[in-house]
Amino acid sequence: MAFNYDKYLRLEKMPTLWCWGCGDGVILKAFIRAIDKLNINRDDICVVSGIGCSGRFSSYVDFNTVHTTHGRTVAFATGIKLVNPDKYVVCVAGDGDALAIGGNHTIHGCRRNIDITLIIINNFIYGLTNSQTSPTTPKGMWTVSQKAGNIDPTFDTCNLAIAAGASFVARESMLDPKKLEKLFVKAIEHKGFACLDILSNCHINLGRKNKMVSAMDNLAWIDSITMPKKKYDELSPAEQLNIFPTGILKEDKEADEYCDMYAEVIKVHQGNRKVISQNDFAKKI
Amino acid sequence: MGTFKTVNPGNQPVWVNVSNCKACDICVSVCPSGVLGMKYESTSTLGAMISIDHPEACIGCNECELTCPDFAIYVADSKEYKAAGFSFAKLTDEAKERQAAIVANNYMSLDVQGVK
Repeated sequence: MAFNYDKYLRLEKMPTLWCWGCGDGVILKAFIRAIDKLNINRDDICVVSGIGCSGRFSSYVDFNTVHTTHGRTVAFATGIKLVNPDKYVVCVAGDGDALAIGGNHTIHGCRRNIDITLIIINNFIYGLTNSQTSPTTPKGMWTVSQKAGNIDPTFDTCNLAIAAGASFVARESMLDPKKLEKLFVKAIEHKGFACLDILSNCHINLGRKNKMVSAMDNLAWIDSITMPKKKYDELSPAEQLNIFPTGILKEDKEADEYCDMYAEVIKVHQGNRKVISQNDFAKKI
Repeated sequence: MGTFKTVNPGNQPVWVNVSNCKACDICVSVCPSGVLGMKYESTSTLGAMISIDHPEACIGCNECELTCPDFAIYVADSKEYKAAGFSFAKLTDEAKERQAAIVANNYMSLDVQGVK
């Protein structure tokens, strides 16, 4: 008997609608194994997803799930988490979903440091709508919206999340499912906003016109642009250009979590404590 | 309906759920010991299907199962497999050479020529 994914899946929706070799499936499996490892009850976790290929994620897992509007995953998840502070809330969004239309929600989720795990499946393209430029599309790549070659500079998702104040920031590619599983376990256990930049492939819409027509070619390209953080730190700044460090880039267990803060606000309104003053923050509420 | 075959169908080290496989070649590429290969199958997605050519060479590393995006390939649990009186093979040079040949053959089984 192999690992039994059946009890975490909506079997009537299988097989998945994703293309052959899509990294979303690998990430879905790693996520399910992580939930199994953490031994979380299926009723105690909510998966929120937006629009895009990654949006199908919530349709396949048999947890509490919400399939929300484009880019609003973190907004919906914030509401869900504030009402159920003792439950686990996981957002799944693509690079276009989380960084373009939902960029605003993402950075403010990071700023509040609310206990949500945001999984950004970064395939460098808008896959579902057939290859438009996304905020992470590398310069010089062919896209439907920039047929002369992409000239837009790219977002570094992890640096964005660190700057915005997320307390757990990590990057991993779908090339190593075992590492991915361990990362999900750590991120879900972490109390605070966890922003995960998971590099994935889209050989259909990114690779088709960029000389990576098979899944393997695209994976080889992802392998060539990623490097473990330890190795990356030893490189010179010129060599670091266009290389993504993988691994946990930031982990802060001391940062104030938003639901804890909000509990204090509730206490004020219930008359159980005085109003929160600036001095309270100096010594942690 | 995609019911999964997570139960070992008769003491095999590795087995495939053909209704889920989309023939993406990933499992063939990650196998270290040349167990798998692609064969032409006109009714399947992309016109190909995994074929388990050398089950006796499987080392039980689980890589194909972990990297399959579509819940299509499964590897026996090593404890249960050993309890049933079987054991996984060790990685040999011959197996490594076979894997290199399969990759060079566009992930097709060695007795099949061409690209899918």
